[in-house]
Amino acid sequence: MIFDIGHLILLTALILSAFGILAGYLGGRWRNTRLIQSSFNAVYAVAVLVFAATVILWYGLLTDAFQLSYVWNHSERALSAFYKFSALWGGQAGSLLFWCMILSGYSAVVAISNRNRHQALMPYVNAMMLVSSLFFLTLLVFATDPFKRVGFVPPDGQGLNPLLQNFWMIIHPVMLYLGYVGMAVPFAFAVGALISKRLGNEWVHTVRRWTLIPWMFLSAGIIMGSQWAYMELGWGGYWAWDPVENASFLPWLTGTAFLHSIVIQEQRGILKVWNVVLIWLTYFLVILGTFTTRSGIIESVHSFARSDVGPYFLAYLIIILFGFLWLLFDRLPLLRGEHSIDSYTSREAAFLANNWLFAGIAFATLWGTFFPMFSEILTGDRISVAAPFFNKVNGPLFLLLLLLMGVAPLLGWRHTTLAAFRKQFTFPLIAGAIVGLLVFIFARSLYPVIGLSICGFVTATIVQEYVRGAMARRATTGENALVAVANLWRRNGRRYGGYIVHLGIVMIGVAVIGNEFYQQSLSVTLARGESATIGRYELVYNGMTSERQSNRIEFNALIDAFNLDSGRKVGAITPQRNIYDKTPDMPTSEVGLHMTPFEDVYVVLNGWESGGATATFTIYINPLTMWMWVGGIVLVLGTMIAAWPHPTQRRSETVRSLAYATGDD
Amino acid sequence: MTELTGADPNVLTASEAEIAAQARRRSVRIWQSVFVLILLGFVGLLVARLIQTNQSEHRASGQAPPFTFTTFEGETISLADLQGKGVVLNFWASWCAPCRDEAALLEAMWRREKDNGIVFIGLDYLDQEPAAKAYLAEFDVTYPNGPDLQSAAARRYGIKGVPETFFIDPQGNIQQMVIGPIVSQAQMDAYLDKIRP
Repeated sequence: MIFDIGHLILLTALILSAFGILAGYLGGRWRNTRLIQSSFNAVYAVAVLVFAATVILWYGLLTDAFQLSYVWNHSERALSAFYKFSALWGGQAGSLLFWCMILSGYSAVVAISNRNRHQALMPYVNAMMLVSSLFFLTLLVFATDPFKRVGFVPPDGQGLNPLLQNFWMIIHPVMLYLGYVGMAVPFAFAVGALISKRLGNEWVHTVRRWTLIPWMFLSAGIIMGSQWAYMELGWGGYWAWDPVENASFLPWLTGTAFLHSIVIQEQRGILKVWNVVLIWLTYFLVILGTFTTRSGIIESVHSFARSDVGPYFLAYLIIILFGFLWLLFDRLPLLRGEHSIDSYTSREAAFLANNWLFAGIAFATLWGTFFPMFSEILTGDRISVAAPFFNKVNGPLFLLLLLLMGVAPLLGWRHTTLAAFRKQFTFPLIAGAIVGLLVFIFARSLYPVIGLSICGFVTATIVQEYVRGAMARRATTGENALVAVANLWRRNGRRYGGYIVHLGIVMIGVAVIGNEFYQQSLSVTLARGESATIGRYELVYNGMTSERQSNRIEFNALIDAFNLDSGRKVGAITPQRNIYDKTPDMPTSEVGLHMTPFEDVYVVLNGWESGGATATFTIYINPLTMWMWVGGIVLVLGTMIAAWPHPTQRRSETVRSLAYATGDD
Repeated sequence: MTELTGADPNVLTASEAEIAAQARRRSVRIWQSVFVLILLGFVGLLVARLIQTNQSEHRASGQAPPFTFTTFEGETISLADLQGKGVVLNFWASWCAPCRDEAALLEAMWRREKDNGIVFIGLDYLDQEPAAKAYLAEFDVTYPNGPDLQSAAARRYGIKGVPETFFIDPQGNIQQMVIGPIVSQAQMDAYLDKIRP
């Protein structure tokens, strides 16, 4: 009964969003306040309805309503309440409903926070947000109904995919969805600006924060996904350039490019076409990514069970692509730049180079992701493109990007004088050279030396910026250093928060370089009491234990790790295998890890014989990996500083223009 | 990104400027067309791929995917060998309670139809052999049954769970697919009539 209501609620939301689109569009065109108000109300109503439908599905999951096909397929009685709750996004229909809920939530928050601003823009923004909602509601009502019945009441469900029964795997999709879905907001503003022909800086200001927030979630989601892959999949790495990983990475690339290039538009009034194209690409890549992972056209460990949503996604993709292009081409004359770039030593030129690099990486990644599939269609042969391709092409591009990340903030807007060059670059170059030299002494290979000295250089530029900013504040206000830094964040969070984000990226870069070039690995079979030596460590195998959990059996291998230099025991490492009752052919692994700032000792239990008398392990030493997770946290904190709203930030336009005339953000 | 190459219009005469503007418009239009064509090509490939995927995955009708399995008694059976006979392919498991609702009916139907050119096959999905054998003994199942190793057939047939039953005609086409147990005799008779040789 209640589940029939759930379906009806979705249908109502679908009709309301169609109405809201019309109201928003016509209201914006005719400047009819009552229609415009209707579009706002439609946004709110859709949000409430979709939330209600989600609550009903949650109710079904938590009360084991196995008469629902979705609950039957993605839950079971023995599952803990937490996983029952999270089974909402463990399968196709539920995750689309979840997606739709986030989307309508975003729409409502955008509508509320802008209800008295951007009068000309908002009706169209509402309409565009509702277009996205309408699409997902169409899927939910016609293609993949989360409230579909099985036809009988099964006594127990089929169980949740074991790979998803892990804390990171619960949080990771939520973050990704918050990031993915949030990219609809800047896109809606861009479309609103194009339709209303208000293509000045108005929408750009608003959209910056609305891009930063989803960008933060997307970054966190990608990092958590790597963390999950690292801890669960047990192949020693964190990123495999798998099509689904790429699907989340592609919008991140264009979104990051967009975040940088709108700064130039704000400051210099150029790159207007490029900016709307970038945000459109970001939104397009979000939909494309969702399409590829859910239609079954790409083979991947992550793929959802295939269903009938493919054609719907494709149709929407085509509408987004060509509808937007038509609009863009029509408005092209209004998007002329106000200036041109004066010099290659200007900050805007560096930003432009940054954008080209991001675009290049995005293109290479897109190519590598789709090439196998297209080659199969055109020639019948499947040519697979594996990690080496991506590393070879994207590695150097990322290195250049890292370099630019240090260089760009040191350059002035419009032009940098030779004296400024000397003042800005002396300390960071020396720091980079010292780091390079140190690395060279310890490990003589070309790429890591270059990479790590660039990391040193960038870190030094960030430190230099902070020291200069804080000293300037101390000179004028006499604050102590900590207060000065806090005030830098408060008064110019965009710039100084941005530096923190850069610092996070440098840390991730350090971890990637460490793993890429200094990883060691070893496969051994050990009898009880035997030991293996790798790097500075000796690992002693002490046998196996098993433990019965509610829906699985856990097998643990007990290993003690000793440091060979000091002879001391550094810790116990317990790699694990889980055999789930409902899916015994899909055992999951939980790696055993000893983490230090310098390196991880990472042990995978591959198998065992005679109850654990012997066991086979793959052991990896992964240098500097911890910095990837630390960098991820730093990146999120930095984004929060940059996006945090502060009244003092609303400086008047004159102050702003004065600031960049002097080359000081 | 034309900003880097902004031509200075002051040095041109009026007619030259006119020609230059026309040329610029033309080049913009050419670029637009190239852009649209590339995207069209991309979308075209996506469409082709989607059609290809859907064809190979269409399971509720059309050609039944081939499979081979070894029964618990050690006999190897392949779908290809059963051309000319109607095949009832049932996916089940010993831990699956709804499977129990249909087990007796399936066995009864096998006994009734085995001389009429209809073969029943049971594929055991994600199970342990002792439990599965106990289940077969409990319902006195005599038609060929075996484990679906690595869920190979389950994957090909894209089953959503157990029980699921496929009715395959003598030409090897799936005539009917049933999710959940078949408990009604009338329903069973109707499906069996679709696949009689």
